[in-house]
This record gives sequence, structure tokens and C-alpha cells, in this order.
Amino acid sequence: MNIKKTVLLIISFCLLIIFLFPLVIMIYTSFIPQGTMTNIVKDYYLNDFEAGYMSVIKRTITPLGNTDYSLVKESPTSTQSLKIESTGERNPGIKMIGATRDLRKVKTFNFWLKVETPNIENGYVRFEDVNGKFQDIPFKLGKTGQWEEIVINKKALDKDELNLKYVTGISVVLNNEEDASNVAFLIDDIKIYNQYPTLMNYVIVWTEDMFGRYIINSIIVSVTVVVANLLFSSMVAYAFARREFKGKNFLFALILATMMIPFQVTTIPIFILMKNLNLLDTYWALILPQLVTPFGIFILKQYIEQLPIEIEQAAVVDGAGPFAVFFRIVMPLSSPALAVMAINTFITTWNDLFMPLILTSSREMRTAQVGLALYQQLTQLQWPYLMSATTIVGLPIMIAFLIFQKQIISGITAGSVKG
Amino acid sequence: MKTKSKYNLTTLAFLLPWIITFIIFSAYPIIYSIAISFTDYSGLNPAMNFVGLKNYTALFKDEIFLKAMKNTLIFVVGTIPFTTIISILLAVLINSKMVKFKGLFKAGFFLPSVMSMVVISTIWRYIYSADGLLNHMLRMFGIEKSTGWLASPNTALLAIMIMDVWAAIGYYTIIFLSGLQSIPEELYESAAIDGASSSDAFFKITLPLIKPTLFFVIAINTIRSFQIFAEIFTMTGGGPLNSTQTIVHYLYITGFRQFKMGYASAMAYILVIIVLIITLIQQRALRSEY
Repeated sequence: MNIKKTVLLIISFCLLIIFLFPLVIMIYTSFIPQGTMTNIVKDYYLNDFEAGYMSVIKRTITPLGNTDYSLVKESPTSTQSLKIESTGERNPGIKMIGATRDLRKVKTFNFWLKVETPNIENGYVRFEDVNGKFQDIPFKLGKTGQWEEIVINKKALDKDELNLKYVTGISVVLNNEEDASNVAFLIDDIKIYNQYPTLMNYVIVWTEDMFGRYIINSIIVSVTVVVANLLFSSMVAYAFARREFKGKNFLFALILATMMIPFQVTTIPIFILMKNLNLLDTYWALILPQLVTPFGIFILKQYIEQLPIEIEQAAVVDGAGPFAVFFRIVMPLSSPALAVMAINTFITTWNDLFMPLILTSSREMRTAQVGLALYQQLTQLQWPYLMSATTIVGLPIMIAFLIFQKQIISGITAGSVKG
Repeated sequence: MKTKSKYNLTTLAFLLPWIITFIIFSAYPIIYSIAISFTDYSGLNPAMNFVGLKNYTALFKDEIFLKAMKNTLIFVVGTIPFTTIISILLAVLINSKMVKFKGLFKAGFFLPSVMSMVVISTIWRYIYSADGLLNHMLRMFGIEKSTGWLASPNTALLAIMIMDVWAAIGYYTIIFLSGLQSIPEELYESAAIDGASSSDAFFKITLPLIKPTLFFVIAINTIRSFQIFAEIFTMTGGGPLNSTQTIVHYLYITGFRQFKMGYASAMAYILVIIVLIITLIQQRALRSEY
């Protein structure tokens, strides 16, 4: 019996883990610097000089000053390296050109160096950006005639000074302080190590791709809709629960019917209406249609109906008017139902795509969902960025779910009772 | 008399927020969209000509719309049995006395259902991509597949359907769970005394008693599935070759990309009719049971 229980528990756990795996993938990939989950690019070579065609190297590396280079069969880790020889040059070196490189997620920039000329002790690496600005990071050399690995930490780079997104040139330069007439050195395995795990994807997506703005839009719209529903939907619900009027049942049936009718049928007229009112692409267009929701009325009516009516009657006897009864007694007593309504309305509004998609047009007005959906249509897919954006859009709801789980679930079951 | 009219005025004040928004954002749009479905209204300029039933007849000659109808039907018929069966089984599993940590399982399986369809679609787009996790896993089993699942007309709709089942299960599990919890424990106890096996108990007690919940779940899931949009918009945009085009996505394309709003309204009304029929069938089925 106990074994059966344990086995069942293990099976359930395995099911759950497999089930939630896509969410794990999302969060995991958001911390990857480059590549995909199954192929993480933790480091890559700018050049290892193994495929040694001089024509290729000439296109990516230029000598600095009166300098020349050639491939030699010598290397610290592999078979070939680049030998640089210059005459009468104060700062002999090479510059890597060609593609612009995004160095924002770099941890270190590494290369192997062997200086054959004596008395050269210093050098620097120059990073140049697309604006022509540059920054020199000095490095010290050890013994002459020995291979050593130079590591340049990204922390040394000033990201306010230099545009790290578009780095156009990286140079390795030696200081020929003694004015030796001939300088010769070898370089190999020029390599970039990425930060892994990295938070840069979030920073980039939040600031450069405007996800910060999208989230703020979504918060403004969702919070306003929730506050409006707390007030208006509960007022309407109170009328249906406690007050007598003609056609009450018919009107309530009408509310339920609007819950069933596909909302797409109303979107075109609402679009035209908002266009005529000049409200397209404003918060109003997103908020106004949601001020009172059938769901809110429904949940609150059910709850208010089962409150003990005696308290309200006693208040009336004490001379309280209907609004005082509603605001001072019914509203506070309904707070559990208001919480259920609020969190469920928040989630529905936050998650909606269709209405904000048609009612907004500028990038600044996009909600988080629209922003995420359109982000992947406009840019070349880079999964780490996309997954960070997805996490940014999904995480608020996941957190809300962890906190308000009970209210969310009771909102769903309450909505299903009417069936 | 005076107090009575004052009472009515107060009631009106309480109802006013709903009355106003209902008229502006429900009643008027519903009527207005019927009206424009009989016109050639574009949405861009105010010109509007009455064209009778032309939009509706044109729809049934529109190959993309027919394709969208067919895809939507495949989607509905293909996902709902799986979603329903899996969520019943999950609900029974979580509800069973043998399983501890009920709260954890309930929350865990429900989690994807609170996430937006855009978020879920984006994650699955990644899984289904050419160098994605699914192809990687298949490679481990020796199956080489180098194209993305959403890039081929043969697999795109199926891939979206599988994702949808995954995303929907949690929601319906919660509804089934609340149905199961209303079944009195004594029924199972007396069945056990009579020597009924657990499968007997499931088919003879559980299933008949959660039938109203079952009908409800099938109905709302069908209605929801007829309206799928976000997953199509995010993952494929209706492609490749319209193989994932659905009614609502095509409505969006014709109404808001091609600006044929009269035509799109006609499409919306066909959707309303479909939903109405499903609701009626559900009501009928419920009534015939009790």
C-alpha cells in the first residue's frame, strides 16, 4: 500500500516536472549570452589562425604602421599563429576590423602573445566604437620569448564612454619604449569569453527594446481597469443582488449573454468608434470598454446575495442611505469577492492581445503582450533576447499567481458554476 | 409615490455604469456590425454602400476563409477530446486520497493556464524552431529533422494543437476538480463495500456525476477554440501557405490589415452563429439529462 502511494507520488512529480519544463526553458534561456539552450555560446574565437589563408586574414586584420605579418608554424595550444614584424615603429601592432561586434555580454577578451624583441614590457588593447571613440586598456608582459595569455577584463571598459554594442575595431599594440629598430612578436587564439549566466539580455530588452515602456503601459491599463471594476461592477452587482426593479431577470440574462458572445464581433465597431472619437492609440481606448465587466458583476452578485441582509437592514434603520449602506457595509463585507474579481480582471486585462493590438498603433502605446508579439515579427530572432522579453512579460503573472493562487482558482470555479 | 421614484432613481444610479458601457460597448457594436456586414465599408473612408448578402456569399467562395474554417474545425475536433480526457484524469489523480501535496500539484498544473497565450506561444515557438529543443531531442533518438515544426505546412497546425492542449489542461483540471469535490465520499465507500473496482467507480459513479461539468467544459472549450487568435498571430501569422489560418486570424487580416471591415464583420457574424449553435447544443444536452 505504501509502495503504491510512493510510486504514485513519484509519477505525479515526474509528470509535473515534464509539464512545467517549457517554463523552465524560458527562464534558463534568458540567462544564456548567445546561441540556444542546446548550443550555448560561452566563448568564441575572433581568430585562431588555424585555417591559414593570408587572403582571408588580410580582410580581417590590418597591420598598424610600418608593420607586416605572416603565418608561422608555432602556437601555444594548436599549430599556427601570426607573426608580426615591424621596423622603426613606436607602436607596432595589429587591428582586427571587419564586422562590428557586440561586446555587451563579454566577460573577458583573451589572446596569447609571445614577444621576441627584448625590453618590451607593456602594451595595450584599443577598443574602437562606431562613433570613432576609443579606449585603451594596458597590459603588462612577462618574459621575452615566452608564450603567455593576456586577459582583458570587460570591467576595465567604460560603457558610458564607449558604445559597446557596435565595436568596430580591436587592436593589440605594443609599446616600443626603447625604440628598438626591429620588433617581432607572435599572436594566437584571440578569443572572447561571454558572461554566463548573464543578466545583460534583460537589461538590453528592458531598455533598448522598450519592454520597460510596454510593462508600464500594461500596468496603467490593467490597474485602472481593476480599480474601475472594483467600484462600478460592484455597484451594478449590488443593484442586481439587493434592489428590486423591472426587468431584473432579463437584464441579468443579458449580462450573461454578453459573456458568451464572441468579443470579436464588437471589435470592429469599437475600433470605428474610437477612431471617430480620436481615442485610437490612447490609454482611454484600452480602458473604457473594460470599465464594467460581466465577469465582475457575476462574481460579486453571487457573493453579495449570500451576505446576511440583517446588517444592511440595521444600517437603514439607523438612517443610512443606500450609498452609505453600499460603501460602508456591503463593499467592506465583500472584500474576499472583490479580491477574487480584482486579480482575475487584472490577469485577463494583462494577458489580452486582440483589443490592444487593434486599438494601438504607435510603439510607445503597445502593451506588454502586443510588444512581445510584434517584437518577434520585426527583429531577427535571437532566442536569449526573446526569452528574456517573454520572462519579463510572463513573470508578473507568475508572481501574482503564487501570491493570489486561492483567489484565482476560486474565480475560475465560481465562473463555472453557472453551467 | 415620491419615495418610490426616489428608490428607482437610486437603483438607476447603481446600474448606470453598466447601462452606459453596455449600450456603447456591447449593444451598439453588436447591431452596428450586423449593419456593416451588409455593406462594403472599408473602415478607412466613410463611404458605405449596401451590398446585401454579398459579403456572406463571397465568404463561402473565399478559399482562404474556407481553409480557415477547415483549420479551425480541425483544431477544435483535434484538441478538445485530448484536453478533456487528460484534464479529467489529472483531476482524478490530484483528487485521489493516495496523492499528497495536492496544493502543489493543483498550482503546478494550473500555472501555464494563467500565462498569456503570447508568452506561451513564444516559448513553444522556441521549442519548435529548427534548432529547438524538440528537434534536439528527436536527434537523440536518432531522428534527423532539420526544419522547424512551424515552418512546414504539414506540421504547423499539429504543433499549435499540441501546445494548446498543454496550455489548456490546467484550467479545465481546476474545473473538474471542483466538480469531483462535490461528489459525496460515501458513494465511493459503499461502492467499495459492494466490491466495485476503482475503474468501476470511475465509470459508474464519477463520470455520471460530473456530466454537467463535462458538458460545461466541452462547451466553453469549444467556444474558446473557435476564437483562437493569439497563438496563430504570434507563432505563424497564419502561414505557411495558410495552413494555420483560422477564422479570427483571418478576420483580423481582412478587417485590420486589408481594411475590408464589412467583409470582416460578416465573418464575425458567422462566428457568432457557430457559438450560438454550440451554446444551444450544450443547453439541450444539459436539459435532456435532467
